[in-house]
Amino acid sequence: MSPTSAPAASPAASPATSPAASPTTRPTPGAPSSADPAAERRRPLLTTLIVIAMIAALLASIARGFYRDGPLEPDAPTAQGSKAVVQVLGDLGVEVDVDRHTADAADALREGRTVLVTAPDELSADQLTALAESREAGGARLVLVQPDFVALSTLAPGLSPSGALREGGRFEPGPDCGDLAHQAQLLELPSADDGIRGAATLYRTSDGARSCFAADSGALVAAHDGVIALGSADLLTNEGIGLADNSALMLNLLAADGELSWYVPSANDPMAATSLTPMGYLPDWAGPLLLWVVLVAVIALVAVGRRFGPVVVEPLPVTVRPQELVLGRAQLLQRSGARDDAASALRTAASTRLADRLGLRHESSLDGLIAALRPHVDRSEEQLHTLLGPTPLTSDQDLVRLAHELDRLEKEIDR
Amino acid sequence: MRISLTPRAALVALLALPVIVLWPTWWVLVILAALWAVVILADALRAPDPRRIRVRREAPSQVRLGNTVTGRLLLTNPTSRTASLEVRDAWNPTAGLAAQRAALRLPGQERRAIPQTFTPTRRGEHRSRTLLIASRGPLGLARRSAQATAPGRLLALHPFGARRHLPSRVQRLREIEGLAAVHQRGQGTEFDSLRDFVDGDDVRSIDWRATARRRSVVVRTWRPERDRHVLIVVDTSRSSAGRLGEATRLDTAFDTALLLTALAGQAGDRVDLICVDRIPHLSVIGSTRTTVLHDMVTATAAVDPALVETDWELAARTIGERARRGALVVLITPVDAAVVHGGLLPVAARLARDHPLVVASVADPALEQLAAGRGDLEAVYQAAAAEQARGERAGVSRALERVGAHVVDAPPDRAPQALADAYLALKAAGRL
Repeated sequence: MSPTSAPAASPAASPATSPAASPTTRPTPGAPSSADPAAERRRPLLTTLIVIAMIAALLASIARGFYRDGPLEPDAPTAQGSKAVVQVLGDLGVEVDVDRHTADAADALREGRTVLVTAPDELSADQLTALAESREAGGARLVLVQPDFVALSTLAPGLSPSGALREGGRFEPGPDCGDLAHQAQLLELPSADDGIRGAATLYRTSDGARSCFAADSGALVAAHDGVIALGSADLLTNEGIGLADNSALMLNLLAADGELSWYVPSANDPMAATSLTPMGYLPDWAGPLLLWVVLVAVIALVAVGRRFGPVVVEPLPVTVRPQELVLGRAQLLQRSGARDDAASALRTAASTRLADRLGLRHESSLDGLIAALRPHVDRSEEQLHTLLGPTPLTSDQDLVRLAHELDRLEKEIDR
Repeated sequence: MRISLTPRAALVALLALPVIVLWPTWWVLVILAALWAVVILADALRAPDPRRIRVRREAPSQVRLGNTVTGRLLLTNPTSRTASLEVRDAWNPTAGLAAQRAALRLPGQERRAIPQTFTPTRRGEHRSRTLLIASRGPLGLARRSAQATAPGRLLALHPFGARRHLPSRVQRLREIEGLAAVHQRGQGTEFDSLRDFVDGDDVRSIDWRATARRRSVVVRTWRPERDRHVLIVVDTSRSSAGRLGEATRLDTAFDTALLLTALAGQAGDRVDLICVDRIPHLSVIGSTRTTVLHDMVTATAAVDPALVETDWELAARTIGERARRGALVVLITPVDAAVVHGGLLPVAARLARDHPLVVASVADPALEQLAAGRGDLEAVYQAAAAEQARGERAGVSRALERVGAHVVDAPPDRAPQALADAYLALKAAGRL
């Protein structure tokens, strides 16, 4: 530690000469300002607030239970979830598994379990093919919620969408329904505005397929060779399951085999990532290389940003602008329109200078000054009186003119 | 002691890129990072210890502001290894050190010098806050840095620009002293010598006793009294912090005080100087005639204005302690309405009873420019305000003169000469 860190305000004691001192009241700009400790104190408060907020968020999530919210999510107690169906199925003795990957759903099909696909239109062609192949191998039932044309053409060629049903209502099973109605006497659907996926889809059947709950251009429920298409997702939601006989249809349909795989397609399914991302073209060493380059960049920043020693503070002496007072007074005069005050200041100064020049006493009267001026200038006594006397001014132009007139008068005397 | 990285450390880390391309696994990354850290640490530890480098400073202790001085920093390497050093001598910026940083190779058991040139741009004391030495490793990947103890202090003295007016004033002083031969004897003069009577000499100065001893008529000559006491009081309060042109009022005040000191030294008078604001700083008291100027320049170098009002009662007490009756007291303070309201007037009256009193003031040249403004309405209002201010100053000067002080009010470029002339006038009038 070097002793040079002593404050700069120490007196300038010259060693061998007379006693010397400097003003001890000199301001020291190098002294730490009082704002810094306040900032230090504020920061823990902020940290505490953030910690409290995080704990509150954690507690809130624990209080409402861990579940994933989304349309037809089996754990979600919200209006769009399907916890009600899944729980009742469990109470009925049905073993319900939740699958999120196509491979798991395909395995379930191959084992002969009933599989419910909540969003078949999100599946890619590969996933649909995989499901179709395993269904043929296992022969299990496949329930599709609102399948689109692509899904149906792969999984159930006998079915095809025939239209949409915008306004909801109640639907009765038709006469040729058979056991497809699953003892439900009446289905009720909300309108397209209230449904979680908008309008319900109607299906047309051909070669050997059956349909039930017909509406104007098709049927809400259709089956072909073990594939059952449900026309609306609202039949399964917590909100929609209680309407009319919706629950009878769904429970009887899904509990038929005693085993059910609830397949919710997800985006992070390995099979879903069918298209190659730009990152996929990179070689496998790109990641480690990038990490190393970032590390090197950090090292370079640390090395270049090194500060060699402290910042040196300059103890600058104070200075004050001396004209501030005069300029401030000028602005005050101008803003308040004190023309006469300004004029009297100018006249007094000019009179004093003229009296000096003419050898008069400063205290001599205005008349004495004018009388002394009279022989030297070609102006009348009235003019001089108007110029030097306390004549009121009417406008700012008069003030400027007066200043110039006084200058001219002084120059005349100088000649 | 700290270890820090050089940019070369980052470049060395780039050498690992081919390895990562060949074996792109995470544990290879970890191994490479550890290897890099080991190499850096080894390089840092192989650098000679900067704490063992011995430093000696060869620098002048003072310089007149505006001049340049050179100094040296001598570094000795007592180890056997060659050290490649980076040195930072952290002077404050206005010390005007040409290059704060230097890099050099210092072989073992040898000594090298770093030349330094200082051109201070601010009057007062300058210090080296710290001296840092960083020693780089043989590969230049890392350095160890440490503080060295080599305190540096440089006093930038007042430039004393008014000294160019000294010869002409000394000339005038000699004329006055010569003129004193025909002066009447009286207060403020002392016996000088005897000489033969010439036509025109005052018959009253004939020394009859000496004439009786000789054939011719002999007269006594007189000269202004020497060994008088002059006390200069400089006001360092808020009003002296006003910036007039390039320098503050206080700078001009010191210039004025120094010219008077030099002149009074030539006239054989003793000069003391006090700086006052709320507390009196005894600056230079009781120096001999030969050293007073040097002492005063040194003592005033580090004095800066303080943002307080002057306590004139306290100043008066200090003056009463320091000045004998009859000593010339020179107050260097702005003649301002504000200063007079601060209690200068009664103090000046009291001082003027016991001492010849000169109040020297540095006028603001900007006031004159403002008063001459006729450009537009704003300029005319400013001119009116400036005339008011000048009128107030004139009134204050008259008030001070009425209580017996002699007032010298001049702009910065004429203030030192004006005070010197006032001093000479007092001498010539025999009041001193």
